[in-house]
Amino acid sequence: MITLTINEKEITLDKPVTVLEAAKLAGIKIPTLCYHEALKPYGGCRLCVVEVERMPRLQTSCTLMSADGMVVKTESEAISKARRGILEFLLINHPLDCPYCDKAGECELQDMVNKYGASAGRYKEEKRKVPESHKDQILARNMERCIVCTRCVRMCGDVQGASAISIIGRGNRSRMEPFSSAAFNCEYCGNCLTVCPVGAILSRLYIHSFRPWQLDKEVETVCSYCGVGCSFVAQVRDDSIKRVIPRFDLGLNKGLLCSRGRFGYEYISSPERLKTPLVRKHGKLEESTWSEALSVVAERLGHIKKTHGGSSIAGIASPRCCNEDNYVFQKFMRTVCGSNNIDSISRTGFAAAQKYFEDLLGQGITANMIDGLKNSDAILILGGDPTAINPVLGLSIREASGRGAKILVLGNAKGLERFKTLHIMPEVFKEADTLESLLIGIYNARGTRGEKPAIDHGIKSLAGKTGARTAVPEFDELMMTLLESKSASIVFGPDLVQRTDGHRSLFAVSGLTYLLEARLYLLSEKPNEQGVVDTGCVPDMLPGGRPLNVYDFRRKFEEAWKGPVPAEDGLTLFEIIENAGAGKIKAMYIMGENPVFNLPGGPYIKNKLQSLDLLVVQDLFLTETAEIADVVLPALGWSERTGTYTNLERRVQLQRKTVETLHGMEDWRIISEVSGRMGCKMSYTEVRDIMEEMAGVSPLYRDITYQEIGKGNCLWPYHGEPLRGEMKTVPAAADIEREHREDFYLSVEKPLFHSGTLSGKSPALMKIYPGPVLRVGASAAKKAGLKEGDKVQFFTQTGSREAVVSIEESIRDNRVYYSNNFKGSGALGLMTFTIDEVTKAPGLEGCEVKIKKL
Amino acid sequence: MEKILLKNIDNPNSAGINEYIKAGGYQGLSKALGLQPKDVLEEVKKSGLRGRGGAGFPVGMKWSFALADPKFPKYLICNADEGEPGTFKDRPILEKNPHLLIEGMVISGYTLGSEYGYIYLRGEYPLAKDILNRAINEAREKNYLGDNILGKGIKFHLVVYQGAGAYICGEETALIESIEGKKGQPRNKPPFPVNSGAWALPTIVNNVETLSNVPYIVTIGGEAYSKIGSKDCPGPKLFSVSGCVEKPGVYELPMGTSLKDIIFRHAGGIKGGKKLKAVIPGGISTPVLPADGIDCAMDFVAMPKAGSMLGSGAVIVMDESVCMVRVTYRALKFFEHESCGKCVPCREGTDWLRKILERIENGKGRDGDIELLSDVAANIAGKTFCPLGDGAAGVINGMLKHFRNEFEEHIKNAECIFS
Repeated sequence: MITLTINEKEITLDKPVTVLEAAKLAGIKIPTLCYHEALKPYGGCRLCVVEVERMPRLQTSCTLMSADGMVVKTESEAISKARRGILEFLLINHPLDCPYCDKAGECELQDMVNKYGASAGRYKEEKRKVPESHKDQILARNMERCIVCTRCVRMCGDVQGASAISIIGRGNRSRMEPFSSAAFNCEYCGNCLTVCPVGAILSRLYIHSFRPWQLDKEVETVCSYCGVGCSFVAQVRDDSIKRVIPRFDLGLNKGLLCSRGRFGYEYISSPERLKTPLVRKHGKLEESTWSEALSVVAERLGHIKKTHGGSSIAGIASPRCCNEDNYVFQKFMRTVCGSNNIDSISRTGFAAAQKYFEDLLGQGITANMIDGLKNSDAILILGGDPTAINPVLGLSIREASGRGAKILVLGNAKGLERFKTLHIMPEVFKEADTLESLLIGIYNARGTRGEKPAIDHGIKSLAGKTGARTAVPEFDELMMTLLESKSASIVFGPDLVQRTDGHRSLFAVSGLTYLLEARLYLLSEKPNEQGVVDTGCVPDMLPGGRPLNVYDFRRKFEEAWKGPVPAEDGLTLFEIIENAGAGKIKAMYIMGENPVFNLPGGPYIKNKLQSLDLLVVQDLFLTETAEIADVVLPALGWSERTGTYTNLERRVQLQRKTVETLHGMEDWRIISEVSGRMGCKMSYTEVRDIMEEMAGVSPLYRDITYQEIGKGNCLWPYHGEPLRGEMKTVPAAADIEREHREDFYLSVEKPLFHSGTLSGKSPALMKIYPGPVLRVGASAAKKAGLKEGDKVQFFTQTGSREAVVSIEESIRDNRVYYSNNFKGSGALGLMTFTIDEVTKAPGLEGCEVKIKKL
Repeated sequence: MEKILLKNIDNPNSAGINEYIKAGGYQGLSKALGLQPKDVLEEVKKSGLRGRGGAGFPVGMKWSFALADPKFPKYLICNADEGEPGTFKDRPILEKNPHLLIEGMVISGYTLGSEYGYIYLRGEYPLAKDILNRAINEAREKNYLGDNILGKGIKFHLVVYQGAGAYICGEETALIESIEGKKGQPRNKPPFPVNSGAWALPTIVNNVETLSNVPYIVTIGGEAYSKIGSKDCPGPKLFSVSGCVEKPGVYELPMGTSLKDIIFRHAGGIKGGKKLKAVIPGGISTPVLPADGIDCAMDFVAMPKAGSMLGSGAVIVMDESVCMVRVTYRALKFFEHESCGKCVPCREGTDWLRKILERIENGKGRDGDIELLSDVAANIAGKTFCPLGDGAAGVINGMLKHFRNEFEEHIKNAECIFS
């Protein structure tokens, strides 16, 4: 216990904090500029000086630790003079261009001078001149306004871990610069923008377009890009979003954002948005009215149901849509269409992995707080680069590294290059072998835990198989590190699911999680992959994870929904597609998804969808899939409607309507309109009604309300309880032997600056990352004689593309990466795939590539 | 007084190890390794040795703090970033007597349980770099450095790290940042380097001259050493005398020799028989003394009483023909150029002061400029991150205290009265 006196007020502290923080706790305000709660103390601006008894000179309260018996004064004549002096110093070279500066009105320097500064300056010399730099397309730099508080540099280095900017020059020639000195060669998180107290770093997305006091409203909402679900405030003027700003006291992201979240919001106001429903007439999509389009859908769906039965209809839900949309969608499919053929693109990664993990380890096994990652002493990362897929989660890994955690990376992960302790690089086709060997190694050292018979048995029989299965460099060290760790975490990305033997890796990771008692994190590329599962948009589970084939559960939902629910499990995503047309699937209803572009084997998928009797697509844009639909219905997107997302840690979060739009309808409302026209009226008038219903019927969401969700604390298991038992045996499939036949294998790049194709409609993100390149590892490129900037054509079994080569040091194997984010040039369209019999996810690892220099 | 630090300096081969050994070198090390480290520490404490870099901190006390920290390894850094204007006292040791420093560092390393030493060398001392590296190689060959020093199983390795020319890197925490490969800017204290220095490990930073005293202390014993020079801060002291004197140079004299004697007895008095006007006694950061203020003992205790500081012992002598406004301007130009930019008062204040002084010197002074100079200096003094800003403010205060009339004349006549 420390007791100190500040301004004659006695303050008792449980733990030592700085005098500044102690004063804050006591409600005493000390002015600061270089101090920021999220950053390490710096002590540079000297504005926070205080008098401390028995200390000879003024002390900076941001760096001075409280000590027992300390007597502090925060206001005195000497302190006022010092502060006046410092503010005068800060202004002598400042351009005083407040009338022109975007920061005016929210400038900390302006506020400080207003409160503590002198009324007139005494500086008569010439001011320092530094022209504003617009060499970067996103960030403007005005170094005349910069006060060299280094908040941006500390944010970039210590928190973001990018270390992309620095203070260049010395003394009064100090200025912040990216190392390239012109454009920012960085992660474009823009977190430097958040912490800049003055108008020195500005976003060119909104420069000179509004004043902070001219905003019409501010709406607290959640980002729409990935499964982390960062909170921010959307600031609106004239019914358009001017900018989004994070707040350090808001949401799990604690003031941090990534490039997509911060700069990617403009897609919503893209001129390419669908404005009216489209109906195919004489082979061509034509503009139509809502009433016509909805009637066409209802009539034709009704007809197909009558002719071929409900199971001839399939629905594809969307991890970009809200829980409410997805809930209404599956309810419509089950009760109105009479089909359990409901799945989503999450089958290719998240949903497949999660089902596997939960079946073996129990429901909620992946419900771990992102914030907890930083307390791990060892983190095993596999199946993708978390700093690109879920960037803000990636920051927790970087923070853990700073706290001394061992960062163990399996596979390529560019964003962890400078943070990893160990790097394991299994060959193509050998990932599952490596993980199984790791599991057996840990088992041999530790034995099983004897708590879960299925997994215990699975590990023992795996260990019984003869022979060492793999040897990769640093394997022993990896095993020792994991065995020594006391609080391990495993961060599992979607790439390892997308393997023909993906279930083997999933079992190995389940086993590791179990034996190491690790926290398991499942990366989620889309914002609501968890929600898709939880709301029942899967062929075998009702909302809340209730197994469909248990009569009691089904009956409960039938009662609530006042309609029958088919008893048999439906088809999974690829089974639906396989059965389209010639098979038993005659109609497909797709909400917010673009399978033609977003699934592997594009031409095959397109063919299949074209052979349907009816294809209905709800979307924001005329996607590749919408182009071949019979009816296209314009939906509303993020910021245009209210709804909830469930993030990868299973936190339900509220996305609030921010702007009004003239076109489109909420996804749930479209479904509800169709349903009504099919003779089953849904009684929702607003989105809240849906959540109320969900809270009533889904045991997972018991008693949940928007008010509760809005506080951001609706964490697993909410008020409900885990609902599904664990599996008694480990699902298995025959091992497949494959050979390494080619020099290169194609993989899908998951860039930091893009997510799906929505980000491609965001001008800012397109400036940062304008088009696809073929990323090749340095040593593989050397072997093949490829150089940076080489123009090449690359061929897979199904097609080819021309591309420019980009050499990437962090790629250590012979995979080449190409993105699937740009219209007309996606990697997935070139890929062939095989289905993992256990997870029903597509295996993409065997896509051989030949590269020809042009 | 016999020369201790500059012993053998007239021998043209004094930097070679054989000459050094011939003159009795490395005997202190032999003796030290026969003692327990704590006994060596005791001798250093008894000697009363105080840091020669300028602050005068008791060396034994600093070492005890580092020893009390249980973390290992510990680093020993020799501060050879001799950058204070007027100061060139360490240079003869580095260039002419490098083995004395090496011997001092090995003994210090042994005492402190440190196995790794750095010599952080001023960027503008390329000659010294070569000489030191040669000396380190010689010492390693003769087993005075390495993994098994003098066959006693003692380990000490030494590396020369050259700075890039920043004055601020003479400040010990900025120096450590620089060694770590970062931009040279001072760190927050606490934690102090003795607990968390280079790579967050206990680090002892001592000046060249300080470490070079250690072999002699071990050789003759702390008790005998403490009888040399001033009672409060004993030992020999190097004074670098520059400016308007007949014989500028480095003088090794007992601590406490009077400033007047240094100038008039040892450095040959004022050049050309001119009249003395002012003396900066301890490097540019120490306040100037007028001609009638130099009858004082040059040590860490007496100088503050005389209105200045011992600093690095760099005596800068100015005669009647020197323009004090120009001296002040030149000093501030230095501080402005060398301000690291970390804290506001120093970064902005030194620049402002320089600009005002430049104007006054160029005949464009205004009424109120002197008050402004004084107030800006007051807004810097005591508010900066490290002593650099205090040094700059001290120059203004000292000059205005003793030579205000010259500033007034410049403003009144709208020109420099000495040009």
